[in-house]
Parts: sequence; structure tokens; C-alpha cells
Amino acid sequence: MTDTRTGTLIIASDYRVPDPGRVWPLLQRRRAELAGIGAHHVLVYTSTWDHGRMLVTMGIRNPEPVVDLLRSRVWFDWFDAVGVTDIPGVFAGEMLEKLDVTTSSVGTPPGIVVAAMTSVSDVATVIERVHRAIDRFQAAGIRKVWLYRAFDDPCEMLILQEIDSEENARRWIDNPDDAAEWMIGAGVGPYPPLFVGKFVNMMRIEENL
Amino acid sequence: MYVCLCKGVTSQTVAEAVAAGASTTKKVANACGAGSDCGRCRRTVQAIIKATEAEAAGLAPHTSAKRVRRLFR
Repeated sequence: MTDTRTGTLIIASDYRVPDPGRVWPLLQRRRAELAGIGAHHVLVYTSTWDHGRMLVTMGIRNPEPVVDLLRSRVWFDWFDAVGVTDIPGVFAGEMLEKLDVTTSSVGTPPGIVVAAMTSVSDVATVIERVHRAIDRFQAAGIRKVWLYRAFDDPCEMLILQEIDSEENARRWIDNPDDAAEWMIGAGVGPYPPLFVGKFVNMMRIEENL
Repeated sequence: MYVCLCKGVTSQTVAEAVAAGASTTKKVANACGAGSDCGRCRRTVQAIIKATEAEAAGLAPHTSAKRVRRLFR
């Protein structure tokens, strides 16, 4: 697929680190480098089921081709700093839709994040089926769904789901709705297994640091 | 997925190389460049080789849900 982005590029990567506690302080020390590649938001999630596993997503405004951007030393230096030897696959794409399945009020405890990077049969069909199944998603405890599409593969998606409780997350993983086709393809080939965790922190990066 | 950051090679390109006969990480590196520089993506390349060969052989890969259940129960 041609890289014809006009808005924010989303970069996401899922990897295991020896010490998850070091990730956030190290990220904060790299604000200037991140600003240099056009990053404006960095979100960090930590796995609650698989100790040491992290999911980091980044919003980037940068007109450079993705391939050139990913060649930056920033990524290699980052993986070195957090102790990642085998560099994982990196998702690069754009957000298609954010669905607020249920409205949460102030003080609602943070939910469980279940993320999948995977290949689907057809992105448009997936989105259509999710819209039709929204009542079932709500009944399953899904609060929000973020749908992203990769630039390099028309069938590749990153899907983040926020679920209201650990119990409902387990139920969803064991018996996902038929519309959640992405729950099946994760963990095959270059794709990491389903990520189950919680949001840890978000960094907002100003331009011209 | 971008698999090899050094060369900018995607998982699709690696899978195509495997489908065309590249059955080892070395052959994949020769075919499309993935893993030919720093080599830190070779584990992902190996995972693609396994998945592509399993698919070609008609073997159903383990689903992630099954893997998660197996790991955490």
C-alpha cells in the first residue's frame, strides 16, 4: 500500500523488557529525540498477564516516508536502552476510528486493555461488522475500541479494546464475538500474541523542544 | 509490519520471499535484505518462515486465544 498519509502516523510495538519500571523514566529522558522525529504523543501499556511485556504506541507527525523514519537511530537507541535484543515487528499505520461503546463517568477505574496486531480478511468488512455488533460489545463489557490500519499491508490492523474488568477480559479472550475477527489471527507469524494489560502513562511532546 | 528496520522490509515482503523458496533466515536475507544488516530481526523472520510454511502445508496455526489460555492457565 502506498504511504499517502496526511495526518498522524501511528507506530506501535510490543516487546519484552528485563525491567518494565525503567521504560517510563527512559522515555522521559528522550523527549528531545522523540520531538526530533515528530512524535507528539507516546502511550505506554504494561502487560498484566505476561510480566515484562510492554506495548508502546506513538503518534508522529512527520512527512518523511515510513521506511526512512524507521531507519532513524532513535529506534535502535531506544531498544538498546530498554534491553531489547531481538527487535520486534513494528506496526505503522493510521487510526480509522475510535468507538466509545459505553460512556464512562469521571472516577471510573481504568479498564483492561486487550490489543491485537493481525491480518484480517477485509478492513472495511471488519469495521462494518463491529458497528453492527456494538450492542453485543457493550454487553461484553467493552468500553472503547480503537481501530488502526497499516500503511504497508491493506489487510493489517491494530485493534485496541478497553474492557471494564479482568473477568470480562478473560471471557472476551475465551469467547470473542464473531465480529472481533482480530482475536483469532494474533500471535501468528510476525504478529505478537494478544496483549492483555493496563495503561501506564502518556507523554505529550511539544514541538520545537 | 515492518520487520527489518535497517532495510525497511515488511512482513509481506518476507512472506513472499519464503513462498518463493527462501526457507532460512540467510536465504531470506539474500532474497529481500531482511536481517542482512544488524540481524536483530531474525527471530521475527524465523516466525514468518514457520507461519508461511505451516500455511502452505495446510496446517492451522495456533490462535492467539489458544496460546494465551495455554500460557496463563
